[in-house]
Amino acid sequence: MNIELSDLTRKFGRTTAVDRVTLDAEPGVLGLLGPNGAGKTSLLRMLATVLPPSSGTLRLLGRDPGAPAARKEIRRRLGYLPQNLGYYPSFTVVEFVEYFALLKEVPPHMVPKAVAAAVEKVDLGPKAKAKLRTLSGGMLRRVGIAQAIVNEPELLLFDEPTAGLDPEQRVAFRALIRGLGQTATVVVSTHLVEDVGAACTEVALMSDGRIVFRGTPAELTARGVGHGVGDAPLERGYTAVLAAARSAS
Amino acid sequence: MTAPDDVDLDRVWTNVAAEIWRREPSRAERTATRVLRSPGLARALLTTPSLLLPWLVASVVVLTVGALAQAGAGEPLVWVIAPAVAAVGIAYAYGPGIDPAWELSCSMAVPDRMVLLTRAVAVFTVNALLGLAASGAAAATLGGRASADTAQLTFAWLLPMTAVCALTLAVAVAVRSASAGAGAGVAAWVILVLARSASVTPSAPGAPAGTLTAAITDPALYLPYAAVAACCVAAVIYATRPQRGIQ
Repeated sequence: MNIELSDLTRKFGRTTAVDRVTLDAEPGVLGLLGPNGAGKTSLLRMLATVLPPSSGTLRLLGRDPGAPAARKEIRRRLGYLPQNLGYYPSFTVVEFVEYFALLKEVPPHMVPKAVAAAVEKVDLGPKAKAKLRTLSGGMLRRVGIAQAIVNEPELLLFDEPTAGLDPEQRVAFRALIRGLGQTATVVVSTHLVEDVGAACTEVALMSDGRIVFRGTPAELTARGVGHGVGDAPLERGYTAVLAAARSAS
Repeated sequence: MTAPDDVDLDRVWTNVAAEIWRREPSRAERTATRVLRSPGLARALLTTPSLLLPWLVASVVVLTVGALAQAGAGEPLVWVIAPAVAAVGIAYAYGPGIDPAWELSCSMAVPDRMVLLTRAVAVFTVNALLGLAASGAAAATLGGRASADTAQLTFAWLLPMTAVCALTLAVAVAVRSASAGAGAGVAAWVILVLARSASVTPSAPGAPAGTLTAAITDPALYLPYAAVAACCVAAVIYATRPQRGIQ
């Protein structure tokens, strides 16, 4: 298992952002759905080893990130795209991706090819030498994706990766993560139900810090038959499960 | 014309792009890589915005103006402003709120603590060297008047500078705000300078060691400076310790 969580909890003061989440994941694409404030970003930040849990156990790539040596090894094999990607405006696309390749300790002699491959995968070759300050929001998002995949990670965490992408770029991104999911565990946190339907092999739906559904997109769709509201079958499944979770709590 | 079936054009193009886009590290970066034994740390040190030209220019300008004013008016400005300049530089070498990619940096194999330490040491070293140069230049113009005092003062501010920088870094790390750290460090230094200058009698007219330098020249303060520096460094080490297990 690349991800093993047991009763994972994260509190901020009196607020419980993630509440006793138990989850495991093998290679494939796991969609993390949920409304605003459901705890998706906090869960993703814990998986990215940026945020320590308050309680529970967390194992990533078979290792305990609480141990410094294991955490370093996990981070070498990790790709992370935060919700708010900070960037250096004066860097070019290549410089930015290269910088994070070096911080991920990609062997220096492999960095140029790794950077070129990542930049090409997100279709930013023509902008490779452009300063980040000159790029559109969608292009910056793709730069963020490029830095996440530059080390060919075994565990990839994307927080709202398609925000700002146009429809054509979103289709390309879905194809990219389907390909990555063949060998890596890809966790995609998103509001966009259609992204999950098109790209994910599994779905986890969060509400109030808890996982209230785990299954395939088809199983989530089935929950919405005769229930829920929405324009698409998967949206109806999403709203039906959320409504049931809220009425039960 | 088409490529043979056994040629992977994507791979060929990636290799070509890698060569075209390859950036040769500067001599400074190669040296930093050897010293730090980490290409990532070297790049973090030399290319992140907090260590770029504006900060260096600001430090040079402030200390040069201080040296000129000191030479012209006989007021010991360099010795008083050097710790504050260094403290502000140290605060803004810290990540959250200043480094836009800090969140991303925290998920990297090169520990964020090492990045912080490298930046802080670099800023301190550069400021110490700049301050020594400015202090030495200003002292040369005053040397004839009070050589013993100026020789002492040229180096004496390094200890309070260390304490103020450590305090600044500790506050910045504790509250995760570079501006709060800078504010705390500068405020503490200003209060100390004014308080000590108010409590001593000015020396002979024209002497460089006037009341403003009391916070630097008073040997009774050296031990407290060292203690403050040690405590603040310990606080930084504790606050940035690698997270073991569950918090």
